Amino acid sequence: MDEHKCRLTYTFYMLTLFLCGALLFLIGFFPASYSVAEQEKTVPIDRPTTLHGEKLKPPPANYDSFILFLIDALREDFPRESTMPAVHERACLKLSLHVDIPTVTMPRLKSITTGTLSNFIDIALNVGHTEQVEDSLLHRLKQRKAVVSFAGDHTWVHLFPSEFTRQAANNDSFYVNDFNEGDRNVTSVLAQELEKNDWKLLILHYLGLDHIGHVEGNASPRIKTKLKEMDDAVKKILDHKNMANYLLMLTGDHGMADGGGHGGNTPAETTVPLYLYSKNCSKYAPSTKRYNQIDLTPTLALLLSIEIPTMSIGCIIPEMLQTLTLEQQMYAYFYNAHHLLNKARVKFGHENVRSSDYYHWYQNATLLHKQLLQPLRIGDGSGASKVHYQNAKLNYLRVAREISGQLSESLVKFDYGFIAVGLALTTASSLHLILSVLFLDVAAEQLHLHRLNVVQLLFSLVIGILLNVVAHLVDLVLTSSMLYGLLLLLPIIASVYLTIDVVQALLKIALPPLYSRRLKLSIPLPMPLLVCFAIRMSTLGSSSFIEFEYKTWYYLGSTLLLLTTLRTLRRRITKANVELDGRHLHKIASACVWQQRKIFVVLILLTLMRYLHRLSAIKSTLMIFSLFLYWARLRKFTDTTQTVFKGLAFLLVYCFRGLNGQVHFFEVPEYVAARCMLPVLVLFWCCLALVFVLGYRTALPQKKSGLSLLDEQPQSNLLKLLQTNMTCSLMLVALLYKVQNIVLLPTMLITLDETYKLCDAYGTTARKFSVRMVHVYKIIMTIFVARMFYFYQGNSNSLSTIDLNPGYIGQTSYNPIIVGLFVTLNTYSAEIHSFLYLIVHTLRTDLRSVGIIQLQPPYAKAADSLVIPLYAALVLLPVAIYLCLMLVFRYHLFIYSVFSPKVLYDCYTVLVFYLVFLSTSLYFKLFKHDA
Amino acid sequence: MVSRFDQQKTKHQLFHVSLSLATILICMTYMQYRRNWAHLGSFWDSLIVPIVFIGELLKVILARFFGRIEDGVLTVKQRQKKASYFTPRELFGGLTLQFLCTLLYAFICIILGAPVLANYEQTFVLSLLMTLLTVSPTVFLLGGGGALQVCFCEKPDFITKCEDTALHLFKYNALGGILGAWAGSVVAPLDWGRDWQAYPIPNVIGALLGSALGNIYACTHVLYACGRVYMSKKRA
Repeated sequence: MDEHKCRLTYTFYMLTLFLCGALLFLIGFFPASYSVAEQEKTVPIDRPTTLHGEKLKPPPANYDSFILFLIDALREDFPRESTMPAVHERACLKLSLHVDIPTVTMPRLKSITTGTLSNFIDIALNVGHTEQVEDSLLHRLKQRKAVVSFAGDHTWVHLFPSEFTRQAANNDSFYVNDFNEGDRNVTSVLAQELEKNDWKLLILHYLGLDHIGHVEGNASPRIKTKLKEMDDAVKKILDHKNMANYLLMLTGDHGMADGGGHGGNTPAETTVPLYLYSKNCSKYAPSTKRYNQIDLTPTLALLLSIEIPTMSIGCIIPEMLQTLTLEQQMYAYFYNAHHLLNKARVKFGHENVRSSDYYHWYQNATLLHKQLLQPLRIGDGSGASKVHYQNAKLNYLRVAREISGQLSESLVKFDYGFIAVGLALTTASSLHLILSVLFLDVAAEQLHLHRLNVVQLLFSLVIGILLNVVAHLVDLVLTSSMLYGLLLLLPIIASVYLTIDVVQALLKIALPPLYSRRLKLSIPLPMPLLVCFAIRMSTLGSSSFIEFEYKTWYYLGSTLLLLTTLRTLRRRITKANVELDGRHLHKIASACVWQQRKIFVVLILLTLMRYLHRLSAIKSTLMIFSLFLYWARLRKFTDTTQTVFKGLAFLLVYCFRGLNGQVHFFEVPEYVAARCMLPVLVLFWCCLALVFVLGYRTALPQKKSGLSLLDEQPQSNLLKLLQTNMTCSLMLVALLYKVQNIVLLPTMLITLDETYKLCDAYGTTARKFSVRMVHVYKIIMTIFVARMFYFYQGNSNSLSTIDLNPGYIGQTSYNPIIVGLFVTLNTYSAEIHSFLYLIVHTLRTDLRSVGIIQLQPPYAKAADSLVIPLYAALVLLPVAIYLCLMLVFRYHLFIYSVFSPKVLYDCYTVLVFYLVFLSTSLYFKLFKHDA
Repeated sequence: MVSRFDQQKTKHQLFHVSLSLATILICMTYMQYRRNWAHLGSFWDSLIVPIVFIGELLKVILARFFGRIEDGVLTVKQRQKKASYFTPRELFGGLTLQFLCTLLYAFICIILGAPVLANYEQTFVLSLLMTLLTVSPTVFLLGGGGALQVCFCEKPDFITKCEDTALHLFKYNALGGILGAWAGSVVAPLDWGRDWQAYPIPNVIGALLGSALGNIYACTHVLYACGRVYMSKKRA
């Protein structure tokens, strides 16, 4: 008993260390504040006023008022003649902008206002706290005491707390069920502002479209009405009497993926339209050129007649300058090129810049520019000056483009110190864990993996301090304060200690003192499982395999199931054939196939699940059917009263969906439905709580009841408690799941059940039966089934497929904790529940039913000594390898679009597993002694 | 048992392997000749299935040819088996078995992710090819019942030595074919945008290449064993 507890504690430590390591790695790989670290005081802020001795005058603002009309998630094909007639008809200029990843709001706003690319990790900050921007268009406008008014998404207010003269932010921008309320407020603010007409810049940020996309997808009929509403708002501005000399820019912060989400790298997400409107514009030919979103910043700065923000690395959009005089345009190109060249000087050093191509181009352009100044001022339109003008313009533009590209590439900066510590820690802890599981029986005595060695600890302490000091001295690791430096000591010591352990163990395994005393593996490693696992690891190195990771899992999972089935079948038939001496072979064969029919049904079901998204036509029927099936499946874990309440809870889930209008239901007027929603949910939670309480009451020995439990099978309290927990979270998931996904829940339970039966059969038909073999099969199958169902649900390695809806069920505002919890539970439900199901199954199973009577060691006992550690090791190992691969691929083209989201997903998976593991092992600690 | 080049068994093995390799070479030549591989999945337009069919048939005839020498030393059971080869019952059993196998392969293809209805012809061709590579030779050699017995019995007693040799080689062929077809799917998710990445082209080619590799492996085995004997004899 002691040993088992020790093993759980050990696994706990290893998981904790792994998570710390992963955190350190992430901090090193995605430095959260590189923009702050790079104090660019050396870049001159003011606008240049001379060019080779000639005086230059910065152009004044060309328009009286500017309006930035930002529609969240406006993708390029949304403004059409049919959807937004006025917008389409009256635009002076239509451009399309390329948006950089991550395609979420906060980094995009930073890009628009500062003109710099944003950090990948901003995506995590998008939801929570946001750092304030140091220098931007808005800061410059404030310096000039221009009136800036704002209405819409309150992310702006987080980014610019004091830069707006007037602000009317939405109360709750993350509450995605708000389709209209927020936008209506923005439009009413717009009406007031139009009357006042004292502002220089008005920013309107409409969120409704994005919310509709998140909740209903990009094909929702509501999108049309929303676009019409936006169209009316634009028309209102264009037709207003106060608007004389204005520039209206209609754009989106990011696009919308085909599913309705965003955050990824598909063309639909990374392309947004930019439409420009002004009074009496001459219609320009529709331009098909694509610019970057960051190009908007310097252009806007020039039009507003302010300085370009220091961080900006964008180019000028020539089409937007058409209303300026040629001299002013020349100045614009010159100013931006000048600014970028200064930035390049700071970044790459004077010498490098002087010897580069673009420096010569720049020299060329400035000379031409100087020659041009006189003819332009007197209005000479001769052919020669036109050629000069074009030449200078082209040179300026290509200087800007070249430097902009180089600067955006050089923005990537890794903190190798943190990466090294993190990688060492993750690799060492996962290797440690896997070694201790593989050599389960000898790990404690011969490899000394579990015991804490004081001498070794002291030794690693010394080495750790040395490493830390040296790393700080040679500036490999930069920490902002002494305290952090000391804190960093802990992971270094831990990784040194673990590495020593691992190396020792590996040496002992590789070089046994005597050949006969070689350490034997305690766990059988069947070839097919090993091969599948190895393939799965090797596919991590390819970006397309990561993008289509679900294909790997479907293929390998089905292969494993099929292979095990066929092998079992063959063994059974062979056995029967030998017994019957070769007669009636086809009868035996058909009988054996019939015996295994259920697993074939499961295989067909697994194939059907891939086409789940096509079944939306019958989703009501499917939902009723699957809820019933689900209820029947869960019945065996609970007693009669609980089962009744569970049925009631599922009915309420259906009612809730019906009231939402997602499935067929009684015709109820909308206001009644809205009223009924809350009571239905409250009732559901009551049922859930009742099931929970009843489950705990039977498990915890309160009082001796008159009816003894003799006729029931004596089950341990631990099992009952775990069953209750699992049942409750499964019920909750039924509420959170999308309507058409609910069928996945019973299917997953059936699949797991049948897979376990298959593994039992496979184990028992083997020539030499070994319990551990069955365990290993079950664990790996569970991992594969869990991943398959994780992807069936619609998840992927792109951040755009995170379904935010479940977070808002029954919520009226944005509560980060509840939303996070619900979304996690929904996204990772397959993995969480497969793990719980495996544990419960291991505790419940009695192999006597399949014909094995005596077992050493007993089956259920392995739950905490073998199953959990091995599962943990198999979860950690791929992640550790993937982290190493990330380091190798750090300059890969797709590092931020494909590899980085996956690393976030992987680390989060480990975190979720860690939490589930923590709660489960807590129960093991508390209640194991009752068994 | 020592193996020598001039032994009947070795000759049989080498002939057999060269026949398999020749079949696959012909397939490759044919594919090279046609250039466009898009037709590989169609039933009427592709010659792969007939070529492989003829190849397997030739191998069986080869086994029969070498088996003719043993005719004198057969046991009663083997004689019975041999006599019942062309009875309607056996013929029907063999056909049914192959048909069922094709169905099974089609089922497996669909389970592993082939489109269910959209590409039924391609799936059919692929499963036909797989059947030809794995089950058909055994069925042609032993009849339906015999093939079943071979599959589900440790060592049936009606098999002659020569048939045993052929069966041993069929096993490599079949294993290579299955693994090759399975591994062929690896190119499917890659973003190279080549037209040969479409199902079932990589699987068909994978199956052919896999069986070629299996045959090469078997060939090396045979040659290695013979070579060792040859060397030791020379030294003696």
